[in-house]
Order: sequence, then C-alpha cells, then structure tokens
Amino acid sequence: MTDENLTTDPARPAQRMRAGSLSLTFTPWIVGGILLVLMPFIFTSNSALTIMNQMWITVIFALAYNMLLGQGGMLSFGHAVYAGVGGFACMHIMNASDFFSSLPLPVLPVFGGLFGMGLALIVGSFSTRNAGTVFAMISLGVGELIAACSVIIVAFFGGEEGISGDRTYAMPFFGNEFLQQIDVYYLTSFWVLLSAALMYLWSRTPVGRMANAVRDNPERAEFLGYSARWVRFYSFVASGFFAGVAGGLFAINYEILTEENLNTTSSGVILLVTFLGGVGFFFGPIIGAVAFTLLQTVLSLQTELWAFYAGTLFVATVMFFPGGLAGLMMMHVPAFRLGKANHLIVPYIKTLIPGFIGILGLCALVEMTFHFRHAATGDNEMTLFWTTFDSHTILPWIIAIAVTAIGLGIARATAPALKEAWNEANTAGGAA
Amino acid sequence: MSTPALELTGLKKSFGKAEIIRGIDLSIGTAERHAIIGPNGAGKSTLFNLITARFPATEGTVKLHGEDLAGLQPFQINRKGLSRSFQITNIFPAMTVFENVRCALLWSQGYKYSFWNLVNRSRQLTEGADAILDQINLLERRNLPAGTLSYAEQRALEIGITIAGGADVIMLDEPTAGMSHSETDYITDLILKVTEGKTLVMVEHDMGVVFGLADRISVLVYGEIIATGKPEDVRGDPKVQEAYLGAALEAEH
Repeated sequence: MTDENLTTDPARPAQRMRAGSLSLTFTPWIVGGILLVLMPFIFTSNSALTIMNQMWITVIFALAYNMLLGQGGMLSFGHAVYAGVGGFACMHIMNASDFFSSLPLPVLPVFGGLFGMGLALIVGSFSTRNAGTVFAMISLGVGELIAACSVIIVAFFGGEEGISGDRTYAMPFFGNEFLQQIDVYYLTSFWVLLSAALMYLWSRTPVGRMANAVRDNPERAEFLGYSARWVRFYSFVASGFFAGVAGGLFAINYEILTEENLNTTSSGVILLVTFLGGVGFFFGPIIGAVAFTLLQTVLSLQTELWAFYAGTLFVATVMFFPGGLAGLMMMHVPAFRLGKANHLIVPYIKTLIPGFIGILGLCALVEMTFHFRHAATGDNEMTLFWTTFDSHTILPWIIAIAVTAIGLGIARATAPALKEAWNEANTAGGAA
Repeated sequence: MSTPALELTGLKKSFGKAEIIRGIDLSIGTAERHAIIGPNGAGKSTLFNLITARFPATEGTVKLHGEDLAGLQPFQINRKGLSRSFQITNIFPAMTVFENVRCALLWSQGYKYSFWNLVNRSRQLTEGADAILDQINLLERRNLPAGTLSYAEQRALEIGITIAGGADVIMLDEPTAGMSHSETDYITDLILKVTEGKTLVMVEHDMGVVFGLADRISVLVYGEIIATGKPEDVRGDPKVQEAYLGAALEAEH
C-alpha cells in the first residue's frame, strides 16, 4: 500500500472527494471563506455584487441538485419547484409583517429550506421508488403541475405578476437592515459557505455514502441491508431542503418571485449548470454555477446570442467531456502526480490558442450572419471585437473565414502532437 | 433436532407456463456447507433468487432459522442474517475497494440511514473494513477503484462484501465461475476461511470445489432435487450419475 494515497493534501481533491477514507480537511473551506469575504474588495461595483449574489445562489441550488444527479443517480427535470416553493414561502413570510418584524433576515432561508423540504417529503414519497426514467418522468410531471399551479393558486403564487415583498421590514440584525447590496452579499456568502459545508458533510455520512452505492448498483445495496428506495428518499428530501434555501436567498436578493422561478426552463438551467461543472465531483457544480452565471451575465451584455453559445458549450461538454469542467481539471491529476504536467504546457499552447482563435472566428461568422439577417434595413454597421465595420461588404467575411480556417487548421495539425504529449505525461517512467 | 438454518418447503416458481422450480423441499442445518449442483438450466440461480426474494415464489415457503420470509424485501432478509453473492460480479465498481467493504458494514454496525455520523470518523468502521480486507487478501488494493481489480480479485471482493455484514447464512452463486485453476484454489481456500462456523449454501459447477468444500450436496435437475446427501453417497447414486454427474466426472478425468 502506498502512503501517498492516504494523504489529505488539499491539492488533490480527487482523493479527498472520492476516497472517503480520509479525515476531513479544512483548507478548501477556509480558503473559500476568505475568498468570499475578499471578493467585494476586488469587484466593488454594485453590478458585480449582484452577479456574485446570483452566483452563490446558483452554487447552492446546483450543489443541491447534484445531491440527486451526481450523488444519487436521479435525473430530475423539475427541481426548480423546490427552490421556487421555498422562495414563495419566504416571500409570504416577508409580507406577514408581524412575524417578519420579529425575525432576523439571515434566518429566513431556513424557512425556505423547510418548505422546500416539506414539498420534497410529499413528492419523494412516491417518486423515489425508482431511479432512471420513471423518476425523471415523475419529476417532469410534478414540475409542470406545480408550475401550472402558479396561475391557478393565485393566493400563494400571485398569478402572472408573482409576489413581491420588502426585506428591510425584518428585525434589524445587529442594527443592520440590509438596505445595501453589500449587506445582502455577506448574508448570501454566509449561506453559501454553510450550505456547501453541510452538503459536503452529508456526502460523508452513512446515508450519503449509501446514496453513491445505490446510484452505482441498487441491487447490491439492497442485499447489504439498505432499501434503495429509502436511501433515495432521504437524499431527495435533503436536496429539497437546500434547494429551498437557495429559493429563500433568491427571495431576499430580488424581493420578487414569479412563475419563472418554478418552470421547466429554470429546472433545465440547473441541470445544465450542474452538468457543465461536472457531476462526478463534489466541487463540480460550484465551478458550473460560476461559469454559467458569468456566461449569463457578462456574455449576455456582449451578445444577444449568449444562450446559443451556452447551449453549444453544453452539447460539447456532454459529447466530449462528460465529466464536465471539474472532470477536465481532474484529468490532469495523474500527470501532476507523475511530475510531468509541465510537459503539457507547450503542446497546449500550440493547440489551444489557435483553436481558441479559430472558435472566435467562428463566433464572428455567427454574429455577422445574425446581424446580416436580423438588423434593421439600412443598419449595416456592426461592432465586433472592438472593430466597427459594414456587415454587408465582403472583406470582413473573408477575414473571419480566414481566421476560422487558419485557427482551426493549426489546432487540427498540432492535435496529434498534443495527444502524444498527453500519453507521455500520463505514463510512469521514461524521460521525466 | 434443532431448527435448520434454512428450510424450503414445496417451493415452486413458474414464469408464465414454464415451471422452472417444481417443488423443492430442502433443509440445511446450522454451520453446514451445502452445495447445489446440476446441469445448466436446472434452476440453480432461480432457486437462489427465490430464497433471497429477488423473485417472488409462486408457491411454497422459505424459512430462515424457523422464520417465514414470505413478503419480505431483499434488504429485510439481509438484515435477518442472510447474505448472498451473485453469479455475475456485483460490486460497486466506481468506489474504492475499501469503500465497497465499508458500505457492507454500515447496516450491521447500526448506522442505518443516519446523517449525523461521519463515516471516516468511525474507527470501528475503518478497522472492521480493514479486517475484512485482510481476510480476503485485498489490503494492498485498498484504495483502488474496485472496477480496476482483476476478475479473481473482484470475486474475492464480492465474497468479502457478502460476509462483511456478519450474516450467519452465506449464499454464494458460482464463486469460481470463469477462473483458472490457481484462482479456483485461492477462492476455495478463501471460502473455507471466511465461512468458518457459518452456514454456507453455494451453487457450483467445479466438482473439485464441490467435493472439497461441501458437507452435503443436493443435485438439482429440471427444477427438482433428485438426490441430497454426503458427497460420497451422491457420487454413488445411479440416478445422479445418469442425469449429470457421470458425464461431468468423466470430463474431469
């Protein structure tokens, strides 16, 4: 037995997250906490705070979703309803002024969690009997059902306008009334750290370990004394709780909830976020949530077609990197362990940079086509990569096609060398 | 006479019109090593699946230590002290070898569905799992994903998982299927070692293993037991020789 496998080196999350036999390490949590505190000093603008708040909420939601998808092997198409119902419940608490004025705002997400959990208790009691297609179909059906309720049960869901409230009516928390965006940021940060830590700990408990076992082989788990159904049920309920917490934070941040928070689009987005980040690792959904929120907010300021690019990225992830961004990162662990990761730097530069430029060229072609087809008549000017030009002349098209072809061509030509370098870097011995 | 560890009475199973198990009466005593042999398609694995409630029986009863198992789910039967392995290796391939065994220990150590215990904080669990790994000689493979083990090692791991929960009735479905001679010897020794003092029921094709391990043998042909007894008696039984054993023994020599 090699002792190397027993270390709790934080630079090796693969072991920490997967091996399970290791004592807990606090380093990533402390680093995460410090980062959360420092972020507003680096990104000071209000819009940056808004983006980060949205990011952390998505992180909690995606981690909760991954308790089902990654940890428990349950594919849900309707998980937004648990976050949504938690959020709506919090909204109603905000509007119940007597109760709300005696409740410190940071406690509010607990109620969101409890309502999300309550709904998960009910739905889980019949949906977790099976995993696979049956579970997916029930989740979709229940999701649609509750989303449809938003226009039927107007008293709770507020119909088409939704429900709004005011967070500042809460009992002041050490004199703070959460008037400023920065106050809300720290509230959200506190919850993202707490929720992530609790969800991580959950994955280390007997029921959390058995969730993995049931995911991999439900039959064997049954012959070890565990009912696959109950293991799924407990994961489902816990996931509902944390989804509800995310919903509660959404309520605090935006002070309005609508049908949009419940519908299948939101459920689809969280699946996309989680998968993009990688379902195989605990921290995968965190990366996914950060990356996706950036795409959604920053890229959407640059182009109307951001959803097209996000979709393309998702399809590419599913097809080429089923492990998601986290899987892509963790692929490099063996090379690092062999001390050969530096052999990859030059081949990477040779392939990825031309490839990236080629893809930018492709994006330019997409943008130009979109502009050519959809811009108002006479509006021939467009700006792309800080250059303004006429999309109805031939020259920009030639340039874009040339950049695409050359970039992708070089990437393709250098790919075999990269593959070779990759194999070499992952083989023990040799010229290290 | 004391209560048998496992008692089957009038057990029948039909799939549609096809009667696979056609009335089996069998009683296996505590700490007995019992082998079930028979030609392909005789219903040996089906019999295993009936006993462990993987399939419901059409008729008849299964009693574990005198207690009727009718209507119980596999996980409930497991909790009563009956554990089984499978003909096709059935482990958790993505988990480490150590975790496979630890999962098998969780219920018997009373952790149930708890979410207030951390598994890696429990010395009892870690030491228990390592003790099992030591028994099945896989301590060196402890931190490898189970799916990367060799076939014989995976079979050994499955036996480890099967015995880990401390069940007193162990059922092994063809533990040496598809193994080389040396691997077969290794698994046979392993089975002898880990089932010490326990009731063992096994389906096996390899006659060397059967005669080396079993206290008693039952011969299953077309869903019926045509002979039960000590190895030498079964070997001498003309009915058995006619149906199955003769041909198999000839092939051996």
